[in-house]
Amino acid sequence: MALPLALSSGSLATELLIYAMAAMACNLLLGYTGLMSFGQGIFFGLGSYASGLLLLHLKVSMALALLGATGIGALAAVFVGWFAIRQRGVYFVMLTLAFAQMFYFLAYSMPDITGGDNGLLDIARPNVQFFGQEMFNTGSPWRYYAFVGVVFLAVFVVMQCVAESKFGRTLLSIRDNEARASAVGYNVKSFKLLAFVISGAVTGLAGGLHAMLTGIAPLSSIEYHVSETILLMTIIGGTGNLFASVIGAAAYVVTADWLASVWPRWMLLLGLLLIAVTLYMQKGLWGVLERAALALRSRRAAAPAAAVEAGQGEQA
Amino acid sequence: MNVYLLQLVNGIGLGMLYFVLAVGLSIIFGLLRLVNFSHGTFFLLGAYGCFQLVSSGLDFWWTLLLGPLAVGVFAWLIEAFLFRKVYHLPHELHILITVGLALVLQEAVIMYWGPLGNNVAAPDLLQGVVMIGDFVYPKYRLFVIGVGAFMAVVLGLILEGTRLGAIVRAGSESAEMVSLLGLNIRSIFSMVFAVGAGTAALAGVLAAPIRGVDPFMGVEALGIAFVVVVVGGMGSFAGALVGGLLVGIVQCMMSTVWPQGANLMIYVAMALVLLLRPNGLLGRS
Repeated sequence: MALPLALSSGSLATELLIYAMAAMACNLLLGYTGLMSFGQGIFFGLGSYASGLLLLHLKVSMALALLGATGIGALAAVFVGWFAIRQRGVYFVMLTLAFAQMFYFLAYSMPDITGGDNGLLDIARPNVQFFGQEMFNTGSPWRYYAFVGVVFLAVFVVMQCVAESKFGRTLLSIRDNEARASAVGYNVKSFKLLAFVISGAVTGLAGGLHAMLTGIAPLSSIEYHVSETILLMTIIGGTGNLFASVIGAAAYVVTADWLASVWPRWMLLLGLLLIAVTLYMQKGLWGVLERAALALRSRRAAAPAAAVEAGQGEQA
Repeated sequence: MNVYLLQLVNGIGLGMLYFVLAVGLSIIFGLLRLVNFSHGTFFLLGAYGCFQLVSSGLDFWWTLLLGPLAVGVFAWLIEAFLFRKVYHLPHELHILITVGLALVLQEAVIMYWGPLGNNVAAPDLLQGVVMIGDFVYPKYRLFVIGVGAFMAVVLGLILEGTRLGAIVRAGSESAEMVSLLGLNIRSIFSMVFAVGAGTAALAGVLAAPIRGVDPFMGVEALGIAFVVVVVGGMGSFAGALVGGLLVGIVQCMMSTVWPQGANLMIYVAMALVLLLRPNGLLGRS
């Protein structure tokens, strides 16, 4: 978790953790529930706007700003999810896409609140307080990173618990066979909705943290492009488990930062990577690491081929 | 002159362009069951093809033919070497690979032509306006309506009146059954994909003199094309026509009533149709 210390820039490391949270939230829907949501940008953008507005107009504390971002993410997820889960497959994807565009144009058409094209500017980052007592100064990039790191760890633990819980297992059963889960007696819709709400809350929180990182809540934070980026990070990492999303986000953020400084058209390589993921590594980077670890172990142990195959069977 | 009447006619013009843009996406989904997020890119390539050919001195009329043809051939290759491998995979992976291709091509366009927009002049013959009584309308837009109507008739005749059209319609019902009857559904898939991409490119060529060209017009077009296809019914030819006209007219009408809300409304409409009639206004269940 402390590995981002290897990075030279505190804000880059913070951005990594923020997107890792958003990707985990996306993974809860995609990997655990089988829902491909093109609407994660809604929650991210609303979270940014919420914390931005709270800080600009009410000068609230850090805790309240983040609570506001999380709350609005959850609320929007109730709204979007309530409609979206009524359809399945392509129709579900299209619905989330329609909602993403709706929220974008809504934000665009309300410049009095959102600042329209300019977005919200000059959002000051508050220090962490406890009953009016200053607990932790978040002024410098690395200090803010430390704070986000604590939030990230808490979110990761909670999400891991959710994933490992009976609730998480039920989501998996819905993903694998919705008809059967429903026949066994689970109320599939309310499970899906709850997954949506958790995902929306965490994504909103990530959006709020991001607004405080950059000091702005631009219109582009609620764009379709954000939904796409979060989804791509999640898929590149792999949807098997939550840590894969962290790897996906890390790989995306670090590579993007590095490539963008080397070659402005780096998105072309990202496109090629997506094609490669589709054709050859459908389990994402996590799958590749898993295979590499397996190959390494079997070579070291010089185990018979049969044992390796059995191991792979277990993984699948 | 009544402003609503003018906006209605504007809407029909825009709607015909949307039809040409979206009809390929709809037919491709109907037959190949491919959710094609790279459809907007073929529109983009068509527009830049037009820009390139016109600025290198070729007549605009030739680009109407050459642009779609070149993009069609390119799309045929993409289908044969890339997309063919993913039909049997879940829709999520269709989206992934087509998003990937769209990114690659969009970045390639920026690499070659630069990130800024350019203008394309309409041919001399279509410059200026026509006047019918006190009704004024740009000649070029009238031409777009004409091309759209021509495409609707030609595609309609092919789909409804020829053996090939019958195979495509049957394939939309059950591709497996068609191939069991001994027809080479694979080559029909490739052809339909090429034609679908070619029509999107034609829409790009037609749009270039109206709105100019810029590298991000593909993403914008993709959003509109999805709305049109969803509203009309995914896989339905007539649905693309009705959906295109509806979206065009609503957008133009809204721009007099509430300009900022014009785009908002069409996505509200898309969500409503998905919730109430997921197969679209004209789609079969």
